[in-house]
Amino acid sequence: MNNPHHLNPTSLKSRFTTRFLRALTKIRAQKPISSSSPTEIFRRYRRIKVAADKSMAYSVRSRRIWSRAMLWKLRSRSYRRQDPCSGRRSGKTSQAIMKKSSNENTTTRREDGVGFVEEADELRQLVPGGETMNLCNLLDETAHYIKCLTTQVQVMKKIADFYSF
Amino acid sequence: MEKDQVFMGEAVQAGWNSCSFGMEMETDELNCVGSCFLNPKWHNLMDQSDPFESALSSMVCSPAASNAGSTNFPASGDNTMMTDLIGKLGNICNTGDISPQSLIKPQNNNNNCSSNTSCYTSPLDSPPKLNLSMMGGNQILKHPSLVPVSVDPGFAERAARFSCFNGLNAQLGVTEAEFVQLTRVSTNQSVMVTGSQVHVPDSNKNTLQDGNSCSDKRNSRLSRCSSPENGDSKDESSISEQIPGVGSSIKAQNDANARKRKSMPRGKAKETPSPAAADAKIAEENDESTAKRSKQQNDSAKAENKENPKPPEPPKDYIHVRARRGQATDSHSLAERVRREKISERMKFLQDLVPGCNKVTGKALMLDEIINYVQSLQRQVEFLSMKLATVNPRMNANTEALLSKDMFRSRGSLPHSHYPMDSSALAFGLRYQPQQGLPMNNGISNDTQIQFSMNPANAALHKTQGLQLPPVDGISDANPQIGSFWGDDLQSIVQMGFGQNQPQSCQSKHS
Repeated sequence: MNNPHHLNPTSLKSRFTTRFLRALTKIRAQKPISSSSPTEIFRRYRRIKVAADKSMAYSVRSRRIWSRAMLWKLRSRSYRRQDPCSGRRSGKTSQAIMKKSSNENTTTRREDGVGFVEEADELRQLVPGGETMNLCNLLDETAHYIKCLTTQVQVMKKIADFYSF
Repeated sequence: MEKDQVFMGEAVQAGWNSCSFGMEMETDELNCVGSCFLNPKWHNLMDQSDPFESALSSMVCSPAASNAGSTNFPASGDNTMMTDLIGKLGNICNTGDISPQSLIKPQNNNNNCSSNTSCYTSPLDSPPKLNLSMMGGNQILKHPSLVPVSVDPGFAERAARFSCFNGLNAQLGVTEAEFVQLTRVSTNQSVMVTGSQVHVPDSNKNTLQDGNSCSDKRNSRLSRCSSPENGDSKDESSISEQIPGVGSSIKAQNDANARKRKSMPRGKAKETPSPAAADAKIAEENDESTAKRSKQQNDSAKAENKENPKPPEPPKDYIHVRARRGQATDSHSLAERVRREKISERMKFLQDLVPGCNKVTGKALMLDEIINYVQSLQRQVEFLSMKLATVNPRMNANTEALLSKDMFRSRGSLPHSHYPMDSSALAFGLRYQPQQGLPMNNGISNDTQIQFSMNPANAALHKTQGLQLPPVDGISDANPQIGSFWGDDLQSIVQMGFGQNQPQSCQSKHS
């Protein structure tokens, strides 16, 4: 009950939980679940997924390359789809992110001598924004991304358990 | 005196040359960059005038002296008959011979000096023969100590190598011309310059040989060694001045392109007139700088170094990665090593993060494991969001409860600043279900309601302070319990109502 870990306001977990729950509430408030048709469910799923990703990235903020890349991706997609539930912020930041990612693209990729180029490329596909990273950055970002994903999974699992008892 | 200096410089240089070739077994010592410990040795040797010859023989100069002793006699005998190769060899040998003499008794050299200086200043075109003729006969004969030294088992080898150098020397007329200019610039120290000049071809030969890079090291070390000599006599101090220059020159010849660049510091080093103590310091400084330079040039001279069995290890104070033995020292491989260390460090970190990664050996397998883990996590997120999407709509109200709990928690932890907007926003969002909250609110003490109603501005603070603890057991740690006990959930709804709907309801009540 008095677990200080959960009380820590600055922890990634609490930030993510706050954002994600808010986003969930918004989604449900906007479209009260009426139909259980697969398309409806799928749309809802997409929205929740995007909300989860976005709240994760926002709680990480732009400190990490992967969160920047994810935010940028989400924003561009939400712009394209004109997704009404996407909390839009100024387009300037997305441009900045774009610029930054293009800058990172210029970093030299010389992991030829490492011996696991294929694996590294595969990992690049998984980590958002990984295409532009060199191997050192990639491993760094992967570590952080794994941490965040674990947190996300924990929180979402708890929420899901809470809903579906 | 100047002539003596010349001889000394040449002698020392000749010693270096011979050292670089004949004493390759010393590479261990040479590898350790901070070879200052050799200085005291040398110093002691120099101080002791009597055992100096033996010292020289034992030290680097010994091969040179041996060379000189053995070869000079025939060379002096038939000057004209000597070919360029032998002449060059004799030249080196001469210098080696003269140096011990000058150290022991400089007055011996007086005769030779006149002739020698002329030889050295002019000789740029044809230094070896003149030297042989003038110097070889007089000095070596005068000096009996050289005779035992001359018996050197490794001499034949060295002689052969020196002969090889001669051919190279002829090609290096350009460098010699540069040095001629230097000699002209400083009249007093022209002798010294010539000494260094004579050397430069030698160094060229060294660099062209296989073990050149080693010779760099030795030269630098010798410069340090020679610096203590300054205490003995002025002459030797001049030598010490030359020595760094020579080292730099040798390095310069490591890279043929960098020749001109290096010639400048060389000239500087020679021309600095300085007392003994200052000389020593200058020599060491120059030594360091040349060593660094040599490090830079190692990149360019990479090909040569590869052939080298034991590449030199220059001081790398500014790079925190030290090459171990047998590792390449050029900047590319150093950077590569740094990068690899970084990568392995991160891999270790990831290994701790990813379960089951500890058992795997090999980075590729580890990366596979990491990839699998990330994929599984991403799939889990998808699955969970799907699950959330298909959640029974009747749980809609619970969302708010959950949210309120979470909001409480966040607000409790960040009472004042974090989400000032959230309370209003949530209240707004939650207004459509006050019917749930209001009946539950009955159990809540009225005074808090009154407080809220009385002071709506402070309501947020009260909420945060009063409700910190209860929601803690909400979503984050005890969700299964809450899920199983509906009462808890209701309780949370009550709290929610207390926290957020209360002001409104109270206000409505009171108003």
